[in-house]
Amino acid sequence: MTVEPDQDKQKQIASAVKVKRPSTASQFVTLFARDIRQEMRTREMLSSMGFYALLVLLVLGVALAQADSSFQITSISGGLLWVMIVFTSLLGLNRSFTSEREDGGLEGVLLVPLDRSIIFLAKMAANLVFLLVVEMIACPLFFFFFMSQNAASASIALVVMPLLIGSIGIAAVGTLLATITSGARGRDVLLAMLFIPVIFPLLYAVVSATSVTIANTEALSSAFISSLAMAAGYDVIMLSVSWLLYDFVITD
Amino acid sequence: MSQTLAIKTDSLSKRFGSVRALDSVSFELPSDSFLSVFGPNGAGKSTLLRILATLARPTSGSAQLFGLNLKEDADSLRSQIGVLSHRSMLFPDLTAYENLLFFGRLYGLESPEYRVNEMLDLVEMTGRKHDAVRGFSRGMTQRVAIARALLHDPRLLLLDEPYSGLDPGAISLLDELLEQIRPGRTFIMVSHDLGHGFSLASHIMVLSRGRLVAFESCQGLNQQQFYDLYHQSIEIGK
Repeated sequence: MTVEPDQDKQKQIASAVKVKRPSTASQFVTLFARDIRQEMRTREMLSSMGFYALLVLLVLGVALAQADSSFQITSISGGLLWVMIVFTSLLGLNRSFTSEREDGGLEGVLLVPLDRSIIFLAKMAANLVFLLVVEMIACPLFFFFFMSQNAASASIALVVMPLLIGSIGIAAVGTLLATITSGARGRDVLLAMLFIPVIFPLLYAVVSATSVTIANTEALSSAFISSLAMAAGYDVIMLSVSWLLYDFVITD
Repeated sequence: MSQTLAIKTDSLSKRFGSVRALDSVSFELPSDSFLSVFGPNGAGKSTLLRILATLARPTSGSAQLFGLNLKEDADSLRSQIGVLSHRSMLFPDLTAYENLLFFGRLYGLESPEYRVNEMLDLVEMTGRKHDAVRGFSRGMTQRVAIARALLHDPRLLLLDEPYSGLDPGAISLLDELLEQIRPGRTFIMVSHDLGHGFSLASHIMVLSRGRLVAFESCQGLNQQQFYDLYHQSIEIGK
């Protein structure tokens, strides 16, 4: 059976479609806004990450309640804080490409003439925002539950710096690795196996900087500054590598 | 022949490790043609389409689309290519309108809101435009997917089993839409439905184990001859 072409509809299909290649910034905003809109609608990542962070706090609380009264939590609090952040971020990163993979949305985006690195930047920025939102809730709770009874240093407010620098690195490396593993079978385990070793230098630096900040009375000590510089250097290198490799990683 | 070429491939190959998904495929397709690609599972049909859509890189060989090199001019070519597949390439939690607006803005349409409404009207989805795609039937989702594929008015439409999972009503609507959008466009459609694929085609291609075993114009070819050609080609491919 052949159908007579409808002249009006034919005009409608090609009705003076004017296309002007949008700026990189506007494509970034469009991609980033979609991620935020999607999350606001489903709250899939935020709720699972937030709930997981609370569970970690609960488990740590139970474990530390058994500790001897002479036990000084300040000596290990940096490590405990980052255990919570790393595993919470891992949970979120595993879900960060769910909507893109569900019905081929990512392929739809890849068909658009745009620099593939913009996809990376937008996804990384969205992952960073979600991680920071969870940290803004979980970190004050961490300090309230575990640090309120202990004498923390006067410079504790500086902990925001390793938190921010560490989160940027986690979001950058995590987004790249989540892209690689998102199409794989057993991606949850695979991401964890790749993610932890790759972020180890960053983790070492930010745990040092955080521990020094919590325990040390001297604001901006040399140990703090050198750890932070190492973490920032890692961020710059990994962001550049991820930016450069993304086109290769995302195309078959 | 005065007709210009839409696609020209030269020894296009794709390997996944030791597996040859596409093995030295060369063909030329004139503009405004409708090429139906047939072959058994694993013949390389979807791989060919993914390479032409710039979603996959060929391991070797080259391809030209509208005179532009697929590798070097991929970015320019993407604005001329639309893809409709059995997957909608939409975001299920966003509404039909939000999905199309998102793609319209990425493509840089001058007035994306107007174009999106126009396309929703074309696929008769205006009444459901503010509903999330997740709640749509397969046929309704495919209609929105058609609107997405046509949003930027592409010259080349790549269709990867677009009828898969559609009910008879949705199939006839898709047929009608394909007929409407056909003038001035080149189509390549991968299909398992020999009869349907042949009825739409101006050219047919048969792939087997990644190799091109038949490429013919449909002029002077009736359905029975085509079936015979298909089965002979598949035998040769084995």
